[in-house]
Amino acid sequence: MLRVEGLSVHYGGVRAAHDVSFTVVPGQSLGIIGANGAGKTSTLKAVMGLAPRQARGLRFGEVDLLKAAPHTLVRHGLGYVPEGRHVFPGLPVEKNLLLGAYTSSWKQTPIDEVYELFPVLKEMRHRLAGALSGGQQQMLAVGRALMCRPKVMLLDEPSMGLSPILVAEIAAVLKRLNDDGLAIVLVEQNAKLTFEVTTTCLVMENGEIAATGTSADLRHDPRVRRIYLGL
Amino acid sequence: MQVLLQTLIGGITFGAVYALVAMGFSIVYRTMGLVNFAHGSVVMIGAYAASTFYMATRLPFAVAMVVAIVVTGLIGLIIERFLRPLENKDFTLMLIGTIGFGAVLEALAILIWGATGHAVPNPVATEPIDLGGVRIPTYSLLVIGVAALATALLALFLQRTKTGAAMQAVAMDHEAATACGIHVGRSNATAFAIGACLAAVAGSLIGPMLYVNPTMGGTLGIKGFAAAMLGGFGSMPGAIVGGMAFGLLDAFAAGNFQEYSELVTFVVFAVVVMIRPMGIFGEATVNRA
Repeated sequence: MLRVEGLSVHYGGVRAAHDVSFTVVPGQSLGIIGANGAGKTSTLKAVMGLAPRQARGLRFGEVDLLKAAPHTLVRHGLGYVPEGRHVFPGLPVEKNLLLGAYTSSWKQTPIDEVYELFPVLKEMRHRLAGALSGGQQQMLAVGRALMCRPKVMLLDEPSMGLSPILVAEIAAVLKRLNDDGLAIVLVEQNAKLTFEVTTTCLVMENGEIAATGTSADLRHDPRVRRIYLGL
Repeated sequence: MQVLLQTLIGGITFGAVYALVAMGFSIVYRTMGLVNFAHGSVVMIGAYAASTFYMATRLPFAVAMVVAIVVTGLIGLIIERFLRPLENKDFTLMLIGTIGFGAVLEALAILIWGATGHAVPNPVATEPIDLGGVRIPTYSLLVIGVAALATALLALFLQRTKTGAAMQAVAMDHEAATACGIHVGRSNATAFAIGACLAAVAGSLIGPMLYVNPTMGGTLGIKGFAAAMLGGFGSMPGAIVGGMAFGLLDAFAAGNFQEYSELVTFVVFAVVVMIRPMGIFGEATVNRA
């Protein structure tokens, strides 16, 4: 469904990612792990058209993402949860969610499903998003991405800055969404969380894919340990 | 006491116009992080468009105002379209571009209307209302009423419509807004168009109060810009408060310091901005630049 072939990202002369290829099939959950600066975020941003990119091929279903304008991707069913949450701080929670459904009618959004998934957002729906805690903002960012009824959701470091309890909560939600048929691409530094949520994983190092495998295998792979610890 | 009240009314009337100009600066700055230096010239074009149409056709002033709004709205869209390729590439060039557009508009005004300018007859030629010795010109009431209406409409637009919400989202985080499916360029164009429409309202209202001429954009632009800064650049309530403060300051300075009034106004402004560089409502502003 999502097919990335030979994707490279350069910022000026700096290479952030090089020759990255992967595919995501419907219902799959793919993890991309690696140390800080390995090129994970750049890869996701490049898929969304938010970073300067080159690729041999970048397709989402029938859509050629290299030709599609970034703001049209939502309409095709590509949801994105950016690193650092990026909620709209000065707008109420409910409006943040509705903006996730900007491209469709506000009369028939899946907002009730999102509230069912994150009851705390319903309680806080009239609060400004900027007044929420980090964990609540993360839920809001995930909820906002769900509002466009995506087929694939790209998540960038949803565990960043969250307490272990909240990380576990996010993991449970992601697993549930994946069980319901949503394909997930999870970019994380937190390898433990990623192995828990996903079935397949890529390990990135210095902008390139260093290893691929099932999450169960990689969990015990000494290479992962080496890449993380730099040994 | 009477003098005080009389000055107050004059100050509020001019303050309402400055507030409109300041709101135009602020809505573009909020959305794009850009100070539109052509804004004063757009106000001037608005004043010319409204007054020329009004004096040529003798149709109601409201019609002339709508014509001015359409004209400047189009100008706003054109400016944004020209600047769009520079967005996220060269911010300084965008700023210079707005200065350039200001110069072009001023030159255009001289070509079309000549360098001398014209006086505009008062569209509501009724006697001032006498309130216990204080004379309130009916035109002042019109200015204040129209400015309040424009402000209310803008607030409704930003808070109640989908496009308004999208514009606010772009102002807060344009990357996240893009990922939500919002076309940032279109949102910027809307901001520019709204700013230009506010300029037309301000320009057409100030026409009968001042002498309409090609350089009025500079004076009004600086006052509106300073008002926006005083209130906190990018904040809409700040623009209104800043505009009013400037109008009142102007009026009282003119009454007490005559030819030094401008100096007094801007010294007070400079002192306030030195004490509170972010302006009165500054903490609420968005910084994207």
